[in-house]
Amino acid sequence: MNKELEHKFVTELETNQNIVHKVCSLYTSDKDAHKDLFQEITIQLWKAYPKFRGESKFSTWMYRVALNTAITLYRKSKRRVTTQNYDSVIFKIKTDEYDPTEEQQLKLMYNAIRELGDIDKALVFLYLEEKNYSEISETLGITEVNARVKMNRIKTKLRTILNP
Amino acid sequence: MTDGLDLLKKDWQRKGEELPKLSYDELYKMIWKKSSSMVKWIFYISIIEFVFWALLNLLSYDKDSLAMEKEWHIFEFSTVLTIINYVVLVFFIYMFYKNYRQIEVTDSASKLMKSILRVKRTVTQYVWFNIAIFCVSLGMFLYGSLRFGKESVQIQEAASNAGNETLFWIMVVGTIIIVIAAIVALIWLFYRLLYGILLNRLRANYRELKKLEI
Repeated sequence: MNKELEHKFVTELETNQNIVHKVCSLYTSDKDAHKDLFQEITIQLWKAYPKFRGESKFSTWMYRVALNTAITLYRKSKRRVTTQNYDSVIFKIKTDEYDPTEEQQLKLMYNAIRELGDIDKALVFLYLEEKNYSEISETLGITEVNARVKMNRIKTKLRTILNP
Repeated sequence: MTDGLDLLKKDWQRKGEELPKLSYDELYKMIWKKSSSMVKWIFYISIIEFVFWALLNLLSYDKDSLAMEKEWHIFEFSTVLTIINYVVLVFFIYMFYKNYRQIEVTDSASKLMKSILRVKRTVTQYVWFNIAIFCVSLGMFLYGSLRFGKESVQIQEAASNAGNETLFWIMVVGTIIIVIAAIVALIWLFYRLLYGILLNRLRANYRELKKLEI
């Protein structure tokens, strides 16, 4: 692997690192695990990079590798206890920005998302990242119709939490 | 009317500012770190299994056993078994390599999981094949020793002295079957534990995805 490729890769990763951080926050519950998963995703991205031909956007390609690593490849090194009082970055809510009702709603929804299974989390993540159903279906390897059905079910679930 | 989900989406977009930011140098250092992915684990465990079973079956062989096999008239049968063993070992190594190469982190989640499970299945099949060979060999040696071994005459005499020869042989065969069953059960339990720990989450997620396919 030559220097030029390294440089190109790290630059792209630096620009798009938010995607990886978001995946890490969604799938881990403490700082160490976040770092651990981030590193594994970076390694997987780098290993796959020579085959990246640029048919898709770097970020699109990244979503797939990052999610695959989080869902399938990553082995938690220790059984971690999910502490209720620790919130990973993504679930933290800035109090000053919202009115109390909105804050409460967000809290409820983030709690619900945290309880979802790995696959459902991936669906929600891609939805929040404004991916269309064709992209979601390709990333997960399910049909578009099924992705839509499943997503609607999750949305309904989240709405019921807000308006019981 | 903005509903909760729009609110969530808006909040999500805003998260960018709060996320950690790693510098170019920090990221550069990271790409040279060693992966500890589950594919690596599967790879190492598979290699250990190949080496272990191959050594057990192919190298537990010396001049003495050769002479003994000739004496017991099982030499031809044993040679055929050994040849089968080698051919099958090569076949499984090829299959393993082929399936392993198909694991691509850039595939869809469903396809990636399928590829990993396929590799694991190849190795499991190899292990079952070896257990089968092990049982056949055991049967072969028992047959040889009972019919042509040094103590075979005494054993057969003891059997006829006991009065009920059929019952005696049923008991011998029964004991052998129980011993083999116990060994197989132990090996099976070991693999259940090993792969259970390693693959539980993957299997659950794969099932979840498959459920979406129906």
